[in-house]
Amino acid sequence: MKNRSRMLKWILLAVGALVLLAYPLIAPNRYTVHIVNMAGIWILMSLGLNLAMGYCGQINLALGAFWGVGAYTAALLSTRFGVPIWINLPLGMALAGLTGALIALPMLKVRSHYLALVTIGLAETINIIMVNETWLTEGPLGISGIPMPNLFGIAFDGAERFFYIILFFVVLGFLVARQIVNHRIGRAFIAIRDDETAARAMGVNVAFYQVLANAIAGVYCGVAGVLYAHMSTYISPDIFEFKNALFVLTMTMVGGMGSLAGSIVGGLALPLTQEWLRAIKHWQLVGFGLAIIIVVLFMPGGVVGLTQKIEQAGGIRLPWMRKPAEDKPQMEEPNVA
Amino acid sequence: MTSLSIFLQTLVGGIGIGSLYALVALGYSMIYRSMGLVNFAHGSIYMIGTYFGIIWYRGMVMGLQVPYPIAFVIGILLNALLGLFLERLFRPLAHLDLMLMLLGTIGLGYVLDNLAVIIWGAEGFAVKSPLPNEPIVIGGVALLPQMLLLIVVSALLMIGLNVFLARSKMGKAMRAAAQDRETASAMGIPVNTTNALVFAIGAGLAAAAGILAAPIVYVNPAMSAAVGLKGFAAFILGGAGSIPGAIVGGLVFGVLEALSAGFVSSQYTKGIAFVVMILVLMIKPAGIVGEVTVDKV
Repeated sequence: MKNRSRMLKWILLAVGALVLLAYPLIAPNRYTVHIVNMAGIWILMSLGLNLAMGYCGQINLALGAFWGVGAYTAALLSTRFGVPIWINLPLGMALAGLTGALIALPMLKVRSHYLALVTIGLAETINIIMVNETWLTEGPLGISGIPMPNLFGIAFDGAERFFYIILFFVVLGFLVARQIVNHRIGRAFIAIRDDETAARAMGVNVAFYQVLANAIAGVYCGVAGVLYAHMSTYISPDIFEFKNALFVLTMTMVGGMGSLAGSIVGGLALPLTQEWLRAIKHWQLVGFGLAIIIVVLFMPGGVVGLTQKIEQAGGIRLPWMRKPAEDKPQMEEPNVA
Repeated sequence: MTSLSIFLQTLVGGIGIGSLYALVALGYSMIYRSMGLVNFAHGSIYMIGTYFGIIWYRGMVMGLQVPYPIAFVIGILLNALLGLFLERLFRPLAHLDLMLMLLGTIGLGYVLDNLAVIIWGAEGFAVKSPLPNEPIVIGGVALLPQMLLLIVVSALLMIGLNVFLARSKMGKAMRAAAQDRETASAMGIPVNTTNALVFAIGAGLAAAAGILAAPIVYVNPAMSAAVGLKGFAAFILGGAGSIPGAIVGGLVFGVLEALSAGFVSSQYTKGIAFVVMILVLMIKPAGIVGEVTVDKV
């Protein structure tokens, strides 16, 4: 029984991997590949947000700014100095991570809805800098002609080839996030989220981990930004506005805040649904808003939380779910005669 | 023009736009202190309220051209009705933790914003002031009549609100319900009804602000985000849940914006205002006037 479910899990994983690897070949057209690439970028940002907000409990609405810092780093270095993507990546990550750490500093002093506002304010300020410092960022016109990458002699031009770069970073990002969560850092995050005072009493350096959580969110968004710049070849400040931070927040909540799988589910589901409903335009956004309300009121754990609930209620365990921590001895039904 | 009169001119402009922020912030504040709800959809309620008044004034409803003061009143009443209805929708959200509340109210804002785009279009329009366009010059300071109207009517509304809360029976009931929900309902105050009225008043004030400012600013559905954010900033800056705090916060934010536009850099207006606000919060985390502790259910 145990072996069978494990085998089923591996088979599912293998089939999933195969479908993913073959996706650019079986996709009906280039646009559908592009949409999935974009979903990959959203997933990376959602993973970062999930670590900071879902695990460490830090409200952060400045994701758009981190994303923008990563994207502008790549865009400027590649168009002005011809720097290749593999140098832009660590630089973009470092700068975005630094921005994350800087934004975290007021967090040490300010709480809850005040904090929400402070992060919005800082993100807006960074966006205003992007619009106005024309000498650096070309202002509202944006930067065009960012080259698509060329790695190991292979030109990753076109969405089909870029897909594999995105896939690589999403898988890597997910695995790293899982390591972080299972590591001492992750345990400190969860302790801080659940009870800050208790965590402090247990000797957790709360301030350090809060800054770290936001720096990690920054790094994830930095990767997303560098990839986005090289993928779309054009960026402008309006892409990094507040509404996209909200989009990431929404997809993470819908998927499941505090669960890495939630980021994947939400990061795929929302952009794809949005694309699917594009024809009905504003009604689509109305539906989107209603969907958010339904999630908030009836399934606050998101889709992942809901499957866990179903599992607990009905004893159904879907193959991809982790097995229970320990096998409790089955209680006998009390015989009420 | 002397530098003093330039300064005064800027100050008056800031007070004008600050009155708008203050009226919006009052909505945030009243709803927060009575329901414990941080309502991120309030910007959308403000935008809908503006349309509710202006569509009558511009003759967009069955070609009926209604005079400005009547459109003003209709807009406030319609938006207050919407507020009564929305309170029922928002009630379950007030019991959730901040992250879910944030998202739920943002979701409702999304719905309202996009319904507005579907009904009235995304383009927006400029509104002609019902008053003459020649500025009135008082002591070297030129003032648009509409701006004067905005400042005066806002001030009257704020005074009226304070008197209502301090003197009337319903106002006292609202304050009691905000202070201690349990005890208030034990004393026979229908807390849900007072909450609904608070919501209606908040929506009405937002509509008033929007209709008064419409001839100065441009009217389109996107204004919900801009003014919503600034009203929220004012609400936080003054001290969440405090009525004088919202007024002070709104005026300070408006003046700050105007001064930074006039004397530092017009491009960085918004940025400077936000940076100053963040600094204020770091020094005084509970806002200028201080937060009113909220009795959450």
